[in-house]
Amino acid sequence: MSSAINRLKERMESFTAFGLAPAVLLVLTLISGVYIAFNPAQTIRGDLALWIFAKGHLAGYQESIARFEEMHPDLTVEIQLVHQHAITSRLRAALAANLDVPDLVEIEISWAGSFFRGPVDDVSFMDLRPWLEESGYIDKIVRTRFAPYSVGDRIFGIPHDVHPVMLAYRRDIFEAEGIDVDEIETWDQFIEIGKRLTRRGGTNPRYMIGLDPNSSDSFEVLLFQRGGAYFNERGELTIDDELVVQTLLWFIPLVAGPDRIGVNPGWGAPFARAVLDGYILCYITPDWRTKIIENDVGDASGKMALMPLPAFEPGGRRTSTWGGTMLGITRGTENPEKALELAEHLYLNHELLLEMFQKSNILPPLRDLWDDPVFDQPREFWSGQPLGRLYADLADDVPPQYSSPYVSITKAKMGQVISGLTAHYNRHGEDGFEEQVRQRLNEAADYVRGQMARNPF
Amino acid sequence: MWYRFQYRYAPYLFVAPFIISFLIFGFYPIVRSIWLSFHLTAGPETSVFVGLDNYTVLLADTDFHKAVRNTVIFAFFSVFLQLPLSLGLAMLLNSRLILGRAFFRLGFFSPHLLGMVFVAILFAVVFAPRFGLLNVLLSHLGAPIERDWLGTPELVMPALVLTALWLYVGFNMVYFLAALQAVDRDLYDAAKVDGAGPWGQFLHVTLPGIKHVTVFVVVLSTIGSFQLFELPYLMLNNGPGPDQAGLTVVMYLYQNGFVTGDLGYASAIGWVLVLGVMCLAIFQLVLGGTLRRNP
Repeated sequence: MSSAINRLKERMESFTAFGLAPAVLLVLTLISGVYIAFNPAQTIRGDLALWIFAKGHLAGYQESIARFEEMHPDLTVEIQLVHQHAITSRLRAALAANLDVPDLVEIEISWAGSFFRGPVDDVSFMDLRPWLEESGYIDKIVRTRFAPYSVGDRIFGIPHDVHPVMLAYRRDIFEAEGIDVDEIETWDQFIEIGKRLTRRGGTNPRYMIGLDPNSSDSFEVLLFQRGGAYFNERGELTIDDELVVQTLLWFIPLVAGPDRIGVNPGWGAPFARAVLDGYILCYITPDWRTKIIENDVGDASGKMALMPLPAFEPGGRRTSTWGGTMLGITRGTENPEKALELAEHLYLNHELLLEMFQKSNILPPLRDLWDDPVFDQPREFWSGQPLGRLYADLADDVPPQYSSPYVSITKAKMGQVISGLTAHYNRHGEDGFEEQVRQRLNEAADYVRGQMARNPF
Repeated sequence: MWYRFQYRYAPYLFVAPFIISFLIFGFYPIVRSIWLSFHLTAGPETSVFVGLDNYTVLLADTDFHKAVRNTVIFAFFSVFLQLPLSLGLAMLLNSRLILGRAFFRLGFFSPHLLGMVFVAILFAVVFAPRFGLLNVLLSHLGAPIERDWLGTPELVMPALVLTALWLYVGFNMVYFLAALQAVDRDLYDAAKVDGAGPWGQFLHVTLPGIKHVTVFVVVLSTIGSFQLFELPYLMLNNGPGPDQAGLTVVMYLYQNGFVTGDLGYASAIGWVLVLGVMCLAIFQLVLGGTLRRNP
């Protein structure tokens, strides 16, 4: 008996030759390893995986996916909400590793082009043109909205929206100042009124319009309205075109210098305060932003209204576009037919699109739908205006935005040009301003062309 | 037999989980990123070997120059403004004359508990024009309420440095405090006997006593500063800010790798950053005498 105990002791001592702690660690590792091996993490992945980035889309999609699953009892769909800036990096990583790649994914308009780098045959999304043509959707959707998601003849995304742009304004203040917005037809007239209403400095400043002087966000809306673009339909860079020069010469004095009428409205709480306090009177407002204003600035209900953008010349275009989303189907999907069915259900189902409009104020890109009475409903927040009809009336005039893998670089460069010019104009005014505009645009264009020249694909 | 086998192989068994994990999650990505830095990539399936092209383009890239300049300025202030302040605070809170030292130590350290993302969002609101706390406070002193701190190129870096000060001064103070408490009190008595005043004591007793911790904190702050990303990215609305005044090297890497999708170029940026930080850290260690062999 005692020899057996001694043998056991010896065994124990040899087992703990390196001390007790490593032995305990080893035992714990073995136990946890065995536990993990026999209890793998439960996968929640459905037959189809859909990634989206817009919180506003989620609730509507969840309901409609539930209906889609009812129609296809053998199919499950997993929807994941990923932040707008994370969705592209996660997608790139997933595609690079070929691991957990979603079947369908929504991508924001300015990021979409970066997925179309390289040979067109190697783009990670299915070419949807054959299906769009066969189903006839290609003629039903606003044609310009395919441009950001196309390379040559191929279409890699279904547009979610049109995003026409209007001006949201403080109706009560305009009326108190005796201004009739129906008489504002051109930007020149608007600026004239803006100079009268703007109060710079002091304890109670007020500005005519919210414009960002440090990024390309506001500028590009106005450039598109005027017919300009970052890239043309052939994918050639156009930021040093004369139209861009002229638009910058017009834009910068609106946000810089002693006669400025525009100021950065910011986002979130500062934006809401700016609206409520009447710090800024007008805001560039695509359809999606109307819902943000309704949600964030509820107290402004009945004080706000919408008007078309003033035109650059009498009779000119009264709208532009800001933002956008595409739905793409990844080439590696194991269920391309079901993925297309889901895409059609989410993006092109009439009933659902009308519901989505009521929830998000986002005008669907299907023209047939715009005759529906839902678009004529007056909105109390917008002083009783029929928000849907106002946007729908402008939708066919929305300018195109052409795709390029270099859109994001170009936007960043344009933002740099704008903030540099704003600083220059604040310091020197008109002195040497035009030369600065041309020089900075040329530098930015040279940089982007340099990057483009490196692409051997 | 079993004992000998165990004695010889057990160490390998113990280190095996780390080695395997490191090979998969550390070594392979490092090797892969070196490979990528010599390629132009487009999507998951397409790449072409370009030799040193990514590096030569990078060295002539004006945006990269700007990112390096911004990062170096931030690192400079991190070391030469933040650390003296941390040391000063540590000395103050190491003094027995201060009442409620534990409370103040916790107070100064607590910003670090919030995390960088929260702090970045908080300070974006603090620096907001017209409605921001800072402008409202300054307006009582007659300053303009519309000053756009994060929208004016010249003010972006001061705003970032101020935010980092708030976040890290208390954190580094803890290192200095621990080092100060380890300095032998007898040395101060001896220095006093030798006629050293407060400045002499600081110079000849305190500083040599905390030298190794100081070098450690300087190296850590420098490396941390060169990895700056979240703070400017969130404070400047997910971008480099006006005139790219908040563009840092890591932000530029992110833009190229994940916005533009040029993983090869992003890898080259990463390796240039690694080499730069490594050289700087070795220089600091040599300068601080940490690498010198003890006699």
